[in-house]
Amino acid sequence: MSLGTAPVALDAEILELGRRLARRRHSRGAATRAGRDRAMALASRDPQVRAALFRMVDVAPACSTPAELAAHLEALLADVDEPATAVRLAAEAAGGPLASAVGRVAAAAVQQMAGAFIVGETPQAAARVLRRLWSRGAAVTVDLLGEATVTRGEGRAYAAACDAALLTLAQESARWPARPLLERDGAGALPRVNLSLKVTALTPLVRPQAPQRGRDDAAELLRGLLRRARELGAHLHVDMESLDSRELVLELVMEILGEREFADGPSSGIVLQTYLRDSELMLERVLEWSRASARATPLTVRLVKGAYWDHETIEAAQSGWRPPVFTDKADSDRSFERLTRKLIDAWATERLARPAIASHNLRSLAHAIVYARHAGLTDADYELQVLRGLGDDIQESLTAEGLRARVYCPVGNLMAGMAYLVRRLLENTSNDSFLASRVSGATLDELLAPP
Amino acid sequence: MTSAFSNEPLAELRRAEERELFTAALARLDARGSLEVPVIVAGERRGGRAMFDSIDPAEPSRIVARASAASAADVDSAVAAAASAAHDWGAREAAERSAVLIRAAAELRSQRHWLAALAVRECAKPWAEADADVCEAIDYLEYYARAAQQLAIGPELAQVPGERNALHYRPRGVAAVIAPWNFPLAISAGMTAAALAAGNGACLKPAEQSPACALALYEALERAGLPSGALALLPGEGDVGAALVAHPGVHTIAFTGSAAVGLEILRRSAELASGQRHIKRVVAEMGGKNCVIVDSDADLDDVVPAVLESAFAFAGQKCSAASRILVHERVFALLEGRLRGAIETLLVGPAERFDTDVPPVIEAAARERIERALADAAGDGARVSRVAGTPSGAGFYVAPALVLGAGAGSAVVEEEIFGPVLSLEAVDSVASACDIVDAQPQALTGGLFSRNPKTVAEVARRTPVGNLYVNRAITGAMVGRQPFGGNRLSGTGAKSGGPDYLKQFVDPVVVSESTVRHGLAV
Repeated sequence: MSLGTAPVALDAEILELGRRLARRRHSRGAATRAGRDRAMALASRDPQVRAALFRMVDVAPACSTPAELAAHLEALLADVDEPATAVRLAAEAAGGPLASAVGRVAAAAVQQMAGAFIVGETPQAAARVLRRLWSRGAAVTVDLLGEATVTRGEGRAYAAACDAALLTLAQESARWPARPLLERDGAGALPRVNLSLKVTALTPLVRPQAPQRGRDDAAELLRGLLRRARELGAHLHVDMESLDSRELVLELVMEILGEREFADGPSSGIVLQTYLRDSELMLERVLEWSRASARATPLTVRLVKGAYWDHETIEAAQSGWRPPVFTDKADSDRSFERLTRKLIDAWATERLARPAIASHNLRSLAHAIVYARHAGLTDADYELQVLRGLGDDIQESLTAEGLRARVYCPVGNLMAGMAYLVRRLLENTSNDSFLASRVSGATLDELLAPP
Repeated sequence: MTSAFSNEPLAELRRAEERELFTAALARLDARGSLEVPVIVAGERRGGRAMFDSIDPAEPSRIVARASAASAADVDSAVAAAASAAHDWGAREAAERSAVLIRAAAELRSQRHWLAALAVRECAKPWAEADADVCEAIDYLEYYARAAQQLAIGPELAQVPGERNALHYRPRGVAAVIAPWNFPLAISAGMTAAALAAGNGACLKPAEQSPACALALYEALERAGLPSGALALLPGEGDVGAALVAHPGVHTIAFTGSAAVGLEILRRSAELASGQRHIKRVVAEMGGKNCVIVDSDADLDDVVPAVLESAFAFAGQKCSAASRILVHERVFALLEGRLRGAIETLLVGPAERFDTDVPPVIEAAARERIERALADAAGDGARVSRVAGTPSGAGFYVAPALVLGAGAGSAVVEEEIFGPVLSLEAVDSVASACDIVDAQPQALTGGLFSRNPKTVAEVARRTPVGNLYVNRAITGAMVGRQPFGGNRLSGTGAKSGGPDYLKQFVDPVVVSESTVRHGLAV
């Protein structure tokens, strides 16, 4: 099959692969998943209860005592207009003489929830989980959670923490068993150590109308981390956040990776968000840069749909802008597939950028896999990525299928991880998420249909 | 009827191509050299008066505009012309008047980059703020145009058999609009548009620091087809405002500015001039001493950027700006450290640079006043820390300041500083913070950061301020979304950009007619 063939021809294969991945997934860990699915369904049913619970989770790390957390829970549940009996009883208990006990239970529940998404408080503490994932055939990338960076000191502290994490992970990963699929693709070696990094955590100078300020401020810290990554043979992946910082991030990465000093490494990557209307232009820009680049290691491009949809939509509505994101989820999905094909084509023909397809949508993943196979790539030539806590079972199916799956593993304490945790929980219970559709009982074949 | 109101979209300055439009407009403005601002009465442009200059606060040698100062005779003739024009203008259908305002909004929209550039030069308003000022001016025109049509319908009255009751509003006559320089387009446009929409004539006395912005507004209304005479432009200093306030032909005074001037206007307007047959009404928007309460459960990641924006954007020169942070003692040290570090990232520079966080203040006297307040606070034992590094040169730069331990009686905690100065104070509870807010004579805006709905409800119940903002910055009120105005000594309580504002410019008339003839209701 030639490149760029209409994807329709692939639909039968995508369906078949999707079914296989789903079957594999359902055979594992069904019991724990069922529990979590039920909790998700409960939270999704009443938007007010859902809002109250999210707000309770959100405020939990700021509460100094269980009683204080209980007081918040009581106040939040009091805002529910027509509370179901369980909700009413919970509110009463939180306001009663057993408030402290309720607070302790709530705090424990929040901790437990966080545990599903956050692999440890420190890289050292996370080492055991990372090693287990690797041993079972999954690659990892570590993300250090942090509070917002509002001072230069906080930016430097984040960079220092990233530096320390690289060192710790290099030490730890040296003891991991050999996993050839995770350590090499057609273009060369793939580092075991893979750190995802946020530019907005490196600098407090993120000014949407003046990207240059943040760029100048973050540059030296980023160079330091790139040097460390090169020294350790690690991969440094620069995450993408909201559109307000995209220009800063893209320009910074392209500028610095283009410096002669980094021509031989380290391996590094960026993220493109396909929910943005102009994401195709961005991919073209990145591929063009890659084409002109003299770097020895190809750039990795992680394709995601994007996690800031609500933020972008709200900001646009409040400012009177056309939303920069697709407002129809199917458009994001189509954009994801279009960019997947473009990225894979560019890799298959010109070795421009390593594709890393990140999604929890089986259709999006199956589409990428089938398309890559038709484009002449081997399964080792690209990778698939999922988030810890949301995509665990998907990762297991992908690994079982003989594919390279990388798990994005956040590390940090609850205070630092709260923004991340709330985003993940919201995603998990949002009405149009693939995961929620599964809970709601949409048939698998519908979910695997072209968007 | 016109379409529903929606706010003018702000410029998306995160896009480079959008920024370039503004930069290009500034270059066009600079190429024009100094602008001329005449006195305009009944459509007649009058020069040859005493002149005064408006200058660029970042570069005081740059004269942005040379303005003619209105004389007492100009004021007299302007009031007479406005009164005369108002007869016809006020008799027009509300929809017809509204159409003029909406055309004026379109005029402003078509030159929005130029207007923002003007505010950058004349008032050192940074781009984002300058653009928001233009948008708000457009919003006021659009909003009051719609509100006037709504007002013309009048409220429903109780009806019983045999009588017909109706209430309508009639324009009061001539409004004197005395405007500030800090929202050189928006507030001038708001007060003027309200007066005109309701069918009054208006005399606009802009701040002496921003006559060129006022001329731009005047010309937009002129091009939109406002009858000449319905609006006069009277540049000048305090004497022009005072003459308007004292004038027996003025019916309503719309003022935004300092409490001292506002109270003086209230006093003077209560004096009946000989031949005056009405009570003057004063719509005054005066200063604030705005506090943000931070509870122990607040998300400091949100607090810090919101406080920076509220206190230091446009160098704190907004009546809504935050000047005191009342923070729960449990998180005081944490917030202090983060806030101090965050303030150090603020870049002080000219408004025309997109990377500037804090522009110069409006004039040398303002800088002196702010510096004096800080020196006094330091002299009284407060710890004052300043951002290092302000641009060299003649610009009126003031390094942003964080003040700790300012005692009662200090200007820093009691007076409106109108500069980049923030006092950080610990409180033992939100209730204590509410007590502090409640003890203040000013009550304009306030803020609260808390994640407990009960705390939010309690503070909302207790607060005397006109505008309380919860878990967000306390500046940036949007027309139609956050009707704006203060209580106590902060203002007369009318909310600009809200549904009640136009009523300040009209008198209600009730007509009750018997429909009974010969015992029959006919």
